[in-house]
Amino acid sequence: MNWWRHVVANELRKILAFRSDFWVTFLGQTIIQVLIARALWQSIFDANGTKVMEGFTLPMMTLYYIIVPVGNKILTGENVGFLAREIYDGSFNRYLIYPISFFQYKTLTYLTHSFFFALQLVLIYLLFNLFQPDGVTLTLLLNLLSGVAIFLVASYVFCMIAMSIELLSLWADNIWSLMVMARFFVYFFGGSYMPLNFFPDWAVSALQYTPFPYLVSLPIRTTMGLASSTEIQVGLVSLLVWSILFHLTARSLWSKGEYRYNGVGI
Amino acid sequence: MIKVQNLSKTFISHIKEPGLKGSIKALVKRETKVKEALKSVNLEIKRGEIIGLIGANGAGKTTLVKILSGIVHPTSGEATVLGFKPWERHNEYRKQMCLIMGQKAQVWWDLPALDSFLLLKEIYQIPDTIYKRNVEFLAETLMVKDHLRTQVRKLSLGERMKIELMAALLHQPSVIFMDEPTIGLDLSAQRAVRDFMKNYQREFKPITILTSHYMEDIKELCPRVVIIKEGEFVYDGALSKIQGMLGDEKCLSVTTKESTYKLNVPRSELASKTSEIFKANEVLDLNIHDPSIEDVIESIMKNGMKSK
Repeated sequence: MNWWRHVVANELRKILAFRSDFWVTFLGQTIIQVLIARALWQSIFDANGTKVMEGFTLPMMTLYYIIVPVGNKILTGENVGFLAREIYDGSFNRYLIYPISFFQYKTLTYLTHSFFFALQLVLIYLLFNLFQPDGVTLTLLLNLLSGVAIFLVASYVFCMIAMSIELLSLWADNIWSLMVMARFFVYFFGGSYMPLNFFPDWAVSALQYTPFPYLVSLPIRTTMGLASSTEIQVGLVSLLVWSILFHLTARSLWSKGEYRYNGVGI
Repeated sequence: MIKVQNLSKTFISHIKEPGLKGSIKALVKRETKVKEALKSVNLEIKRGEIIGLIGANGAGKTTLVKILSGIVHPTSGEATVLGFKPWERHNEYRKQMCLIMGQKAQVWWDLPALDSFLLLKEIYQIPDTIYKRNVEFLAETLMVKDHLRTQVRKLSLGERMKIELMAALLHQPSVIFMDEPTIGLDLSAQRAVRDFMKNYQREFKPITILTSHYMEDIKELCPRVVIIKEGEFVYDGALSKIQGMLGDEKCLSVTTKESTYKLNVPRSELASKTSEIFKANEVLDLNIHDPSIEDVIESIMKNGMKSK
């Protein structure tokens, strides 16, 4: 499995090949999103005349929204169409010709992107905490490591969800809107747009039976040190179950869909 | 060896009437069109043999290559390459095969060629010494030593094609499928690719299937050709025998004030036909010669074997 290492290395080289894109993604997007969230929540806190909302203080809320954009990137790894686009234009042929599993190859490239964004999260999180009164403590580092680990597991689950949807392009050429919808559902019901604490209790209870809270809310809460060990254990088991389910879905879609693949473009 | 028996492939595609009305109608109900890309074809190719697959656009050449390289499944029939069913995609088979596509890059565009090669080295599990020897040999023969560290997307079309060839041949495959390898290349790049393939074939003796619209590729590389027309093989034999297939015909190249055209005429009717042409047109130039290979193939592709 030495080729795994080279796939990861190649993917990292590709990410670093475009300097300006790297810096825009790394700093630009994060700073803009944090500034918007900070201003928005500042005005919400001011308007309500309160210092704590659903258990969140303003600094906590700011930290939450520092983690959210990078966390979303970890989760969603490669761009929409990472598989469907290649099926559509025929670049997919190469994975059928090379003596490797395309499932393994694409999962690796996806997770490499996630890993790269995880490094960004570590850096941004440490920078933020350096300027806090308590600074960077051992507990904080442990929370960060646990959070990043859960983010990467969640990213694997989302990779399987994305593969299941993207493989539908073997039936319908364009699945862009499906993927955008899937992302929207994950972000909204996972807690990217607002923490799940703001959702009504019945909705939070219902969401426990979906993968959404474990994909976004759990890793963020773990990174912030808000998740209990029971919550983490239950979350990891749920992620495992969902990963198996979506892995089997993707595999089954491929085994049926491969007969429909036409290798267009050549 | 490659053995193909009664291989067929049917594609189903959607059709839509032109215009906005057609687009709206297609939202609710789409019509489908069934195309038989291959109709029960048979073929045998021995180790070390190189064959040229010739046919008009959409004749089924690429479909055959796609099936034999394992990209698509056939609708019916059997095929084995080196004893493997290609579409089952056994790694043991894929390690011995390569597909070179003139119209589709396989190396990674955003990376220098050497980075792609390193990954391919691991994918094909090429030992260090063989990898180094092959990179050196291929880079030197294809004269691309200076381009191996440049991002592939920044290379010219000809240079990119050579890099594609290198990438495909690094693992010294026993079976090579080449789909239009010289398409879009200038004359000198075409010649370089042809010369390289000729030497490579001589040295390593792989089974090679070449599809190309350029007759020069076929004439220089393929002693045996298969002509495919609407999914059926209409000729499978030596290229050298093709020219004799229109032996009782002569080719007239006529240039009039209005146009230039070619005509295959039976020898017995040559005099009367020539006189007819002179009477009916203001002829600027008239040339009588034996039909070239291109003429014969064009005639077969147009009329099938009936013309002979």
